Amino acid sequence: MRLVLVLFFVLALQTTLFAQLRPFGVAGQMMLLFTACAGVTYGITIGTITGLVAGLMYDLTLATPLGIGSLALGVVGATAGIYLYFFPTPIWWLRIFAIAVASALGEIYFPIAQAMVGLDGWIQFRIIKVIAVVVVVNTLFAPGMLVVSRWVLSERKART
Amino acid sequence: MATASTNRRRAIILLTLSSLILITLDLQNSTAVSGLRSVFGTFFRPVEGLTRVFTRPIGNAWFGITNYNDVLDENSFLRQQIAQQEGATVAAAASVRLSQELLALNGLPTLAGINAVTAQVIGESPTNFSQTIEINQGSESGIRVGMPVLNAAGLIGKITKVFENRAFVMLITDPDFGISVKVVSISRTTTATTVAKGTSATTSTAVPLEVSPFLPDSETTTTTSTTVPIAGFTATVTTLPSTPQGVTSITVPKTSALSVRETGALEGQGPSRQPTVRFVDNSVRFGDIDVGVPIVTAGGSRSLAPPDILIGNVSRVVERLGSSGPLLEIRLVADLSNLSFLRILLYQPITEKK
Repeated sequence: MRLVLVLFFVLALQTTLFAQLRPFGVAGQMMLLFTACAGVTYGITIGTITGLVAGLMYDLTLATPLGIGSLALGVVGATAGIYLYFFPTPIWWLRIFAIAVASALGEIYFPIAQAMVGLDGWIQFRIIKVIAVVVVVNTLFAPGMLVVSRWVLSERKART
Repeated sequence: MATASTNRRRAIILLTLSSLILITLDLQNSTAVSGLRSVFGTFFRPVEGLTRVFTRPIGNAWFGITNYNDVLDENSFLRQQIAQQEGATVAAAASVRLSQELLALNGLPTLAGINAVTAQVIGESPTNFSQTIEINQGSESGIRVGMPVLNAAGLIGKITKVFENRAFVMLITDPDFGISVKVVSISRTTTATTVAKGTSATTSTAVPLEVSPFLPDSETTTTTSTTVPIAGFTATVTTLPSTPQGVTSITVPKTSALSVRETGALEGQGPSRQPTVRFVDNSVRFGDIDVGVPIVTAGGSRSLAPPDILIGNVSRVVERLGSSGPLLEIRLVADLSNLSFLRILLYQPITEKK
């Protein structure tokens, strides 16, 4: 429940502030960042669940087919969670690096998911610029979002 | 621990399957999915509105910092442009009115006869892989999926999703956008054949029909008179002018002198590239397409937009081998980066009307 409520506010930030502020015409992706933070902190399973829920909520505000963002963010959460396999002992800067990598991959998964349902045309050279900007923006906000995601998901972790 | 792990796996499977089912349903335009979006919107809009109140000053500060010099330059440029265009606007408005009167006189559809709804842009797409905007008018105002959306300059997109009091507009630059268009090629030489009073045909550069109110002094009218002396009858003389009264010559423009229209399909190419027009016939009659030639909607019973809405002009012509015809890159007349108030034409083609 806490996850859904917090995602509500993250989504509101995404559709207002981050949809407006577009450095070089690219919007920072807060839902993607939240999912990557969850994956990096709590591993593949919780990362995937967070991504699927966040993506579904994100999809409900977009004009693209419902479910695409859910699958894309689900895969991002799982990808970010792989970090814990390789580095079980958390190192803060490596964690932020993992978030940056997951963010970059997330911006590739999304157009691929769209292409799979026939919405092709988004895999272009522009994607390099999109990835670069999203990685920079998400890296800047990663420390703050790590704290938020840890607080939100600590309840879930404590119960289990 | 094992139970929790099983539950999580079940949750992942359930959510993944739900996503796949929802994709399938949404691609089939299911009303259930639209209902789900509407319900979510009911809860989410107030939160979004509240967030917007707090984030707007941050956004304004950001734009103030990053765009200040650009805004100053743009302001002076626009002032100069307004001064230049004031005179031209009056002349253009007169031409448009005349054109609409002529179209109406001939029973042809005009944009003036189509009802429109004005809407304000309330949101941009938060994702980097969709060129859509959100407007504050929906089905309550008569808006339906597919209706064309314009700003003051020309066509900017079409409605793709409609809710009660909001709708999504897919911009013309979205790779999934497509519409049939006309390429209006204007001949530069206006050669015409003039049929004068004599039987000989001469070629001149005059195109319009020339009607002179006065007959010239040097006019020589051919008359035919026949007098046959028959007893009991008075002879009658009939004089026929060779051309109608007051008309010295009729100028018939050559077919090649008229503006030639060829249809094609316009497709968006993403925000960083210009839309292109394909399937333009490579016919000899149409000739070469010049840069700057206007592109307007084609209309027709199956097109979602009425004819003759201005889209842009040709910025580059890419010649292709074979019968594929040239590929045209289009410079849009509308500035999609700065959309505020839009006009939605409440137009539906005959094939879509129920």
